[in-house]
Formats: sequence, structure tokens, C-alpha cells
Amino acid sequence: MFEYAFMQNAFIVAILISIVCPLIGIFLVLRRYSMIGDALSHASLAGVAVGLLLDWNPVLGAFGLTSFFGILIEVLRSRFRRYAELILVIILSLSVGLAITIISAGLVHTNVESFLFGSILTVSTDDVYAVIALSVVSMALIAKLYPQLVMLTFDEDGAQIAGVHSKVVNYIFSVLVAATISVSIRIVGILVISSLIALPVAAALQLRKGFRQTLMYSIFFSFVDILSGLFLSYYIDAAPGGVTALTAVAVLVLVIIYKEGILSWREKRRQS
Amino acid sequence: MIDLQHVYFSYEHGEYLLEDINMTIRNGDYISVVGENGSGKSTLIKLILGLLVPSRGVISNTYRHRAYVPQRFETLNSQFPITVWEVLNCYRQVLRLKDKSLIRTCLEQMGVYDLKDQLIGSLSGGQCQKVLIARALMGHPDLLIFDEPSTGIDVRSQEELYPFIKDLNENRGITVLTVEHNLKFAVRNSTKLFHVVGGHGHFCSPKAYLDEYMSVTMGGKD
Repeated sequence: MFEYAFMQNAFIVAILISIVCPLIGIFLVLRRYSMIGDALSHASLAGVAVGLLLDWNPVLGAFGLTSFFGILIEVLRSRFRRYAELILVIILSLSVGLAITIISAGLVHTNVESFLFGSILTVSTDDVYAVIALSVVSMALIAKLYPQLVMLTFDEDGAQIAGVHSKVVNYIFSVLVAATISVSIRIVGILVISSLIALPVAAALQLRKGFRQTLMYSIFFSFVDILSGLFLSYYIDAAPGGVTALTAVAVLVLVIIYKEGILSWREKRRQS
Repeated sequence: MIDLQHVYFSYEHGEYLLEDINMTIRNGDYISVVGENGSGKSTLIKLILGLLVPSRGVISNTYRHRAYVPQRFETLNSQFPITVWEVLNCYRQVLRLKDKSLIRTCLEQMGVYDLKDQLIGSLSGGQCQKVLIARALMGHPDLLIFDEPSTGIDVRSQEELYPFIKDLNENRGITVLTVEHNLKFAVRNSTKLFHVVGGHGHFCSPKAYLDEYMSVTMGGKD
């Protein structure tokens, strides 16, 4: 199957997604911000629509507008702390409303399905370059901000007292979430990005390891989820987004069974 | 030195939680902030730490290295996947301290080096508190602030912990400020108590506070 150029493109993008999604996902899940990932993934459809309208690459269009919405959520959340959930609903309505209006009015001509469900066939070489650029910058920024992000996630007050500029880090993080979503749109699709951000991390958390090890396991599970999704979707001719989401749930269930069943059984046997 | 002059605080233009607080923390002090639940003790500490901004008044600070030991059960998520070593290493990196051996030194000082590979959530209350103090000591603080250090830890660990805090204050010259609900330790260790009641605060000697407390308690029984 790798004799096809589209499959090679899809494979490169899939590998990058499998690294970037859990890198961002672990902080989103542990900060209980998973819903922000979900809201922003829907908001990215507006970015795709605006990008196509302005004749930009849709991945970069999604990145621009999703970053804007991510920063807007952060600004509104810090001003109206008691209405955090409501803010997500407002942003979701605004962005999805914008996307549906642009697309349904026929202002852009595209196959919306491929953005919603993901597609192997539509990953262009331009998309690959955009994904590589966004992924490399995201990974470098996460590496640079790693201790600050871990401390903010673990003990926000302690981090601020130690000199972490939480507002600045949170704004940068919002842009990183936007970048992650934008690179994932092509393969996994807007509707299942949030599952790819959260589920590999959820599976890794079951193993009760330290932070770095949990992150490594998250990347491993994400890699398994996306590549299985890619290969299976190729053979059964289905959208990769759906197959990837199903694989992610299956891996999570298997890890829970392993942990609750086999590990608990071994522990009991050791004690008796 | 930290100096609070006529400090008022309220959340989002509501009623004042703290009113006209005047407080000076001098080098070498061991001050316990005492008062009923909801009296504004923790708010006062957050103002001093710079986590909250006063609605009115001025707070000046000359301490360069402040460190904070949070209340374990209130602040930290016990399910968080992080080892003791990682907690200290991240703190070291945030403070831009190059010397990695500081982690070992501080953990050994608190007698918890053996726990370095354990998850923070798997530790007992006393062990966790010691790890958090070890973390705080890494930055060579001149002011150490605790939020109810005895909460969630057993009596034996409390008896171990307070002499250590006292030692840091007396022999290493670290100024200590603590929110304290345990009257015994507040009176036994502090050089001064700051009593917060009904949003107002005043300094008193440990003995004077104890006399006042006893008279109120005994009066209540009558």
C-alpha cells in the first residue's frame, strides 16, 4: 500500500499526530480541560471554511482561527471564572455557526465529510509540509515549557510562586492545542480529534506510572490507535477517523481489563 | 521583610473578606496565622504570596526567595501521575538551578530519599508533607510559608515535623509563616501569633492568645 503517494503522506502525518496529540492531551486531561479540546476541535471547522474562503491551506486556516478561539477562551475564562462551561458553549456556537453558514451558502466548494471524518486520500503534499512545520514547532515548545507545564498542572499556586508566568504559558498552550487540532484534522477528522487527545492518555493513566513514563505510554497507545486506524480504514475502505476512535476505545478497554483483571489477580496470588 | 499596610480584600466587588490588615513580618520571625475556619487566614496568605491582589492597601516584600508548602489534601490531586523525583526535578528546572544533586540533598535532609521513585499520591500524609518541604528547600528560601502543615498527617508525623520547621527557623535563619489550625503547635513554636477574626487581624503573643482562647472556651461552657 505504500507504493501510493497519498498513503506515504498519510503515514507521515499519522506518525506526527501520534506524538503531538498525547503531548498536548496529557496536560489537557490532567488539568481537566478535555472539554476545551472538544470545543476547539469543532471550532477548527470554522478555520477550515475561512481558510478555503481566503484560498489558504485549510490546515493553516484551521490553525489561525483555532488559535484565536483558544486564546479567546483563555481570556474569557480568566475574566469570568464562574462561567467556564458557558464560555465553551458560546465559542462552539460562534465557530460552528460561522462554518455552517460559509459552507452551506456555497461560498466554498469542498468535501466537508473529509474534514469531519478524516480521509487518507485528501492529504496533499502542502498539507504534509504544514503538518510537519506545526508539529516540529509544537514539540520544541512543549520540550522548552515542559517543567513549567508539569508544575502548573500539578500545583498551580506553587508554580506561580516559583515564578512561572501562568497566563503567558496558558496562552502559548492554547496555541499549541490549536496546532495539534489543525495537524490532526486531515487524518482523524474534526469529530474524533478530542478522543485521540484524551483516550491514549486515559489508557496510560491506568498503568499508574510517573509523568514521563505516562507520557511515553500515551504516545505508544496513540501510535497504535492511529496506525491501526489508518491500515484498517485502507483495507475496509472506511474513514480513518471512525476506525481510529474505535481502536482508541478498544485499547483503553484492553488496558483496563489488563490492569483490573490480570494485575489484580497476580497481586492477590502474591499476597496469598 | 514583608509589610502589609491597610490591606483590604474582596472577591469581585463583594463584601470585604479582610479589612484594614496591618502586619509586618521581620527576618527570623516564626508567625502562625490563627483564627476560625472561614475567617480569611488562607486569603491573607494568598495575598502575601502574591496569588491575590489587594482591593486596597499596599503589600511590600523584600524577600527574594519565597517558598510555599501547600496543604496536601486540599491542593494536590492524589491521582496525579508524578514521582517524588519528578516533583523536585521540575521545581529545580523552573527555578533554573543547574545542580541536580540538590534533589538528593534535600530529600535526604527530610529523610525521604528512599521514596524518590514512588508516586506522590501513594505517600502517607506525613511523607508527602516532607517531600513538599524538601521541594521548598531546594530554592534556598529566606521565607517559608506553610498552609496548615499538620492537616491530614498522623500525630507521630506531626511531632516529627514541627521540630524540623522550628530548626529551620532558629538554626538556618529562615523566616516562617504558617496558617495554623493546631493551637498546640502554634503556641509552642511561634514567636508571634496573628489572630484573624471577622476579617480583621492583630498580633498577639502566644501566651496572650492562649489566655484569651481559654477564657472564651471556659466562658462558653459556663
